[in-house]
Formats: sequence, C-alpha cells, structure tokens
Amino acid sequence: MTLAVAEKSLGFTGKTLLLVRKDLAVEARGRETLPGMLAFAFTVTLLLAFTLPPGAAVGSAVRLGQGSVAVTEVLSGFLWVTILFAGLIGFARAFEVERTEGALEPLFLAPVDRSALFASKAASNLVTLAVVEVFLVPAFALLFSIDLGGGRWLGVVAVVLLVDIGFVMVGTLFSALAAQTRSREVMLPILALPVLVPIFIAATELTADVFAGGGLGTVAARGWFGILVASDVVFAVIGALAFEFAVDR
Amino acid sequence: MIDLAGVRVVYGRTIALDDVTLSIGEGVTGVYGPNGSGKSTLLRVISGLFRPASGDVSFDGVPRHPADESLRRRIGYAGHEAGLYPRLTVRENLSLFAALWGAPAASVGLGPRADARVGELSSGLKRRASVARALVHQPSILLLDKPFAGLDDDAADLVTDAIKQWRAPGRTAIIATHGAKRLKSFADAGIVLRRGRVASDHARTAAGIVR
Repeated sequence: MTLAVAEKSLGFTGKTLLLVRKDLAVEARGRETLPGMLAFAFTVTLLLAFTLPPGAAVGSAVRLGQGSVAVTEVLSGFLWVTILFAGLIGFARAFEVERTEGALEPLFLAPVDRSALFASKAASNLVTLAVVEVFLVPAFALLFSIDLGGGRWLGVVAVVLLVDIGFVMVGTLFSALAAQTRSREVMLPILALPVLVPIFIAATELTADVFAGGGLGTVAARGWFGILVASDVVFAVIGALAFEFAVDR
Repeated sequence: MIDLAGVRVVYGRTIALDDVTLSIGEGVTGVYGPNGSGKSTLLRVISGLFRPASGDVSFDGVPRHPADESLRRRIGYAGHEAGLYPRLTVRENLSLFAALWGAPAASVGLGPRADARVGELSSGLKRRASVARALVHQPSILLLDKPFAGLDDDAADLVTDAIKQWRAPGRTAIIATHGAKRLKSFADAGIVLRRGRVASDHARTAAGIVR
C-alpha cells in the first residue's frame, strides 16, 4: 500500500482522509495490530464454543444457577465480549505508531484541527475493527449454527455498525488519554470499560433478538436501538470536543 | 525577535523552567546545559507544544496565542525523536507533512535513500530527514532538540550541513545540545541553562562568544 499524496491544499475532510490513509498504510506494512486482534477473537470464540453444554442450540436454553437462560442470549454475550476485548487490543495501539517516534508533536504543530486528528484515528480504528468483524461474525454464526439468512443479517449489520461507531469514539478518546500515561495498557480498559457498558448491554440485547429470529425491523423497534443511536451521537460530539484536552500538554 | 518573560513550567513537583527571561534574535542560538536543565522544555514552550504555567512568549513583540496559525507557520520543530513514521519512506513522510501544511513537496536531499523506509535509515540519515520534515513548510524559525545526540562525526555533518543550507538573514535557529563544541563553531549566540534557570546568555562577536 503506497501513500501517494496529491500536491494541493487540503481542507478538514482532505486532511482527515490523508491521515486515515497514512494509518492504514502503516498498518498494512507493519501488521502490528490486526493480526493480534484476529488471533484473540478467533481463539476466544473457539474456547467459548467448548463452554456450552452438549446439545445446546439456538432455540434452547441452558441452566444457569437456579434458572435458565436462552442460548441466543448466551451467544450474543459471547460475541460482544469477544469484540469488546479484541477492539480494546486494537485501540491500545492506536497512538503507538505516533508515540514511538514522536510523530504526534509535528502533527500538533501542523495546521490540522484536533477534531480532524480524532476523526482520522476513529476512522482508522473503525476500519480495523470492521475487518475483524467481517471475519469473526460469519465464523461465529457457522460455529454456533446461527441462521443469519432471510434478512436477519441486515439486523446484525445494523447493530454491529451502530455499536462500532460508539465503541471507536470512546476507545479512540481514551486511548489518546491513556497514551499520555506510563501505564497506558492498564489505563485504557480502566477508563473505557465503565463508559462502554451501556453500549454493550444494548448490543447484547439486540443481537440476541436477531439470533432468535428477529430482523432489522425487530431490532429497530426496540428501545436499545435508540440508545445506541443516541450514544453514537453523544460520544462522537464528546470525543471531537474532548480530544484536544486529552492530548493537550 | 523571540522574547520570553518570566516563563515558568512545572511538571508535577519538578520545576522545569523557573522565571526564564530571554531575548533571542536572528541567527543560530545554541542552548546548552546538562540533562534536566530545561533545554527541551524551553524549545517546546517556544514551539507552542507546552503552555507555561506563567510568563509570556512573544514573537516580534506579539504575544503567542495557541490558535495563531500564521505564527505556527513560522516555526519548524524537530524534537529529539524523529517525528516521522518508521513504516513510511522518507519521501512519503515529507509529502504527508507538506500536504498537511499546504506546502509543495520539498526535495528530500537524501539521494536514493529518500525512498527507503525511515525505520531502515541510520541515525544520521533519520535525523537529517527529521530536520527536512521540520523545514517542509519553509519556516523562518527552526527549533532543534539535540540534533547531534548519538551521531558520529559524518552523521552530525549531515545535520550541520542541512542547518547551514537553511540559514539566511531574517531566520532564527535555536538548537539545544549537550555537546557545545560542534554548535559553537557556527552559533551566533549561546544560552546556558542550569536547573531550569538561565545561567548565562551571551552573543558572538568578532572576538568570539562573549557575555
């Protein structure tokens, strides 16, 4: 992947896209983030497949303590826990490429709006996360015999997209904050996980609906869907505004 | 003219710069001092990367404002790290920063190594590329933090040549360094920092550097 740069004056969008291309070119050459995320996601999925009792299938329930829980809800939880931690692995490295050679300082001095820097990092993180999900979700459905045919895949795509937007906004903001600290690997989950809880509860609820046979119409009618949309808007605005303070010294 | 008046920078309990008052004119000014004396912090404050806890920095009598883009355009800064992407080639790095600055792509000046990835360059070439990156938008003020650190004589010559080529009337270079010997041979003025304070501030005359 080459980084050909046209010689013309760039505005906000142009600079943002240029920085996204730079991040993707760096990742394509270094392969330092994506392989780790994929390895984690597939290993955890495989391990989780062994935790379900024999015979447990979509449409049945598994015993949990004194009661029981639908397998669709368990599987939905499995999927999102896997994506959550795979994403955090990627976000933890989001600013590593700048930090190691001090490339953030020239970026801060260049006439680039801080919100363009935030948007470019969030977009790069979104692309990386989406690549993981493109491989993980079909493999997950195959491994756990989840039928995503008949338009149900549209429901999954909608939920994944909405979750990803909020997730990368929060992850990018806190990875920028954590990158300023010495214990950055520990700081990111400590800072991000409490904020991410509502997004991932909504994700689990909506995905369980899809796994149980619901489509796009079913999930769009639920309150959790509205919560996801609202979270995306709120975290995008907060992220763009707070990023300057997160990186300011 | 760059003026600092009563600049104080504090990191936690450490006072990095303490009541620093200076005037720096055009030409090359060396900033000398031992580790932890505040050299890097001084450059970062002048560049705008750090905001001082108190005191003022002004350029030609105009106080610095963080959002002042025209002032930022006057400054080129290369820290003690390269400030480049190791996975990209030198040419790609310079094109990237030139595009962000809205400047035409600069000549790299590294011959065939311009198409080598920065991570594959020697320390000297990497430092030379870092200076080229700082100059990509043709600034009139150049701030270099320890540009000769860890370089052998040949590599340091590469960096020195780049600075001398850039040097011109009306331009100001402020260079922080441990080893004064190389820089003193072409610096017009020198500042010595100790424990965040100005220990001495002198200008060069025909007779040499004097207070």
